[in-house]
Amino acid sequence: MRVDLIDRAMAASGAAVRAIVYAMLALPALLVIVCSFTSGDSLNFPPTGFSMRWYREVWQNELFMTALWTSTYIAVLVSTMALAIGFAAAFAINRFAFLGKGFLQALAFSPLIIPAVVLGIGLLQLFAKLNLTQTIYPLLLGHLVLAIPYVMRTILASLSLHDRVLEEAAMNLRASPLKVIRRITLPLILPGLLSAAIFAFVTSFGNVTVSAFLTYGGHVTLPVQIFTYVDTSYDPLVAAVSSLMIVITLVIILVIERLIGAERVV
Amino acid sequence: MEEPLASRRVLTPALLLAPMILLLVLFLIVPTFGLLRASFLSESHLLDGSGFSLKQYIRFFSDSYYSSVLFETFVDGIIVSLICLGIGFPTGYSLARLSPPARRWRIIIVIMPLTLSLVVIVFGWLIILGRNGVINALLLSSGIASSPKQLLFSRPAVITVLVQQFLPFMILSVMSVVTQIDPVLEHAAANLRANRFATFRKVVIPLALPGIFAGFNLVFVLSISAFITPRLIGGNRVAMLGSLIYERIMAELNWPSGAAMAFILLVSGLGVTATLNALAASRLVRKGGRYAR
Repeated sequence: MRVDLIDRAMAASGAAVRAIVYAMLALPALLVIVCSFTSGDSLNFPPTGFSMRWYREVWQNELFMTALWTSTYIAVLVSTMALAIGFAAAFAINRFAFLGKGFLQALAFSPLIIPAVVLGIGLLQLFAKLNLTQTIYPLLLGHLVLAIPYVMRTILASLSLHDRVLEEAAMNLRASPLKVIRRITLPLILPGLLSAAIFAFVTSFGNVTVSAFLTYGGHVTLPVQIFTYVDTSYDPLVAAVSSLMIVITLVIILVIERLIGAERVV
Repeated sequence: MEEPLASRRVLTPALLLAPMILLLVLFLIVPTFGLLRASFLSESHLLDGSGFSLKQYIRFFSDSYYSSVLFETFVDGIIVSLICLGIGFPTGYSLARLSPPARRWRIIIVIMPLTLSLVVIVFGWLIILGRNGVINALLLSSGIASSPKQLLFSRPAVITVLVQQFLPFMILSVMSVVTQIDPVLEHAAANLRANRFATFRKVVIPLALPGIFAGFNLVFVLSISAFITPRLIGGNRVAMLGSLIYERIMAELNWPSGAAMAFILLVSGLGVTATLNALAASRLVRKGGRYAR
């Protein structure tokens, strides 16, 4: 390979850019965690002292704890429902030949390109007309729509990756189609299914852009509670809540990574 | 046996797909059209108005303030997408060429901002850019500045934070196309005495073009519809269409106006995306034609 000045410049600038990119991506989350352990009354850098004081405050703060509960509750419902709906649809797309398959796939991925404000306001208007704004439905269905692309992508990928030979063998042994699905297909794609459910969970748990327009029985989800809190005030309490979210998210990423490997997370 | 099997072939996939189609039609397409309808109402503050008027749209496009916000939002979106491309491409490319063990932690760092709630990331940036924040602490202790600088509430701050939020999308789409480019092609180019830059320009970039366009589109659409970041990082000084819409709906309860603005956002965003895709397609076709000859 010819090595000249341009090559060297490209290699050096590439390494510098990559270092900056990784630092930039990791820093905000790291700094939130560092600042959450401050013992002072305000958010300063470097933090003054070390204490768990703000974590105790979060634990005693009813607003944040209710929001955390609301978020978890909705995210669990969303992930189970998204898994069922997504698996059924992905299975049909993967195993059957029919007209308009491309269109359906485009439909399944369309929540990614519709701006969140459009979806949020549209749902708020729809449910206001139905007089259901105080129920769980706006948040639940909104998050479900958002989770569909992620769930579909993960399940479609694991369906197309696994070996069909085992299913054919089972069918040759006269197993019924349902039995083949239950005993062969589902266990084989279990890691894919689990990570799809987890993706749906984090999509719902972290969403703020659609949730900001929707409430549930006068309650809001944790990210929206953080948003409205930060909009008016700025103290270490939010750093502590945010750190909790960071830790939960990181644990979830590591679980997915274990399940299907970092290669296929994307 | 022929007949039931044939009907089962139609019925089973239809039943399996029905829940998803129903969900997306009822709670994605219907609300979007409901919003479109609301944007053609003339009176504000009315959820169940009737009639049809272009008043909201006429008002938007005749008021120079709104047009300037729309223009600024688009410029910001393009700047964010270009920066993401500039720094995301080398990162995505190197990720694709790394061995799986070396890739592991880097991928986790890239995915983290995508999975983490947006508000948490924005809050992290408040700690970095705030008056008593990290950058000011560094500036003061190193003696570069004698008093804390106002870093927040400015357009560069908003752009920086948007870049960090959406950069992972660019990195991942570049990475996914580059993993499909056979390294043999690059070695071949190198054997033909092309230097790295020439190889990049003539081999890697043309082949990675679909990923570049996909990433650019995604980052652009996400940036122009952002409202959390402009509101928290930009404050009142930086107006972007998304935060204007949020205020219209949530603070002023002016539905028709907010709906019209949301639609202008949706249509113009999709317009830019479609133009870019057409451009990409024609470019690929032209290239293909040239190589075919």
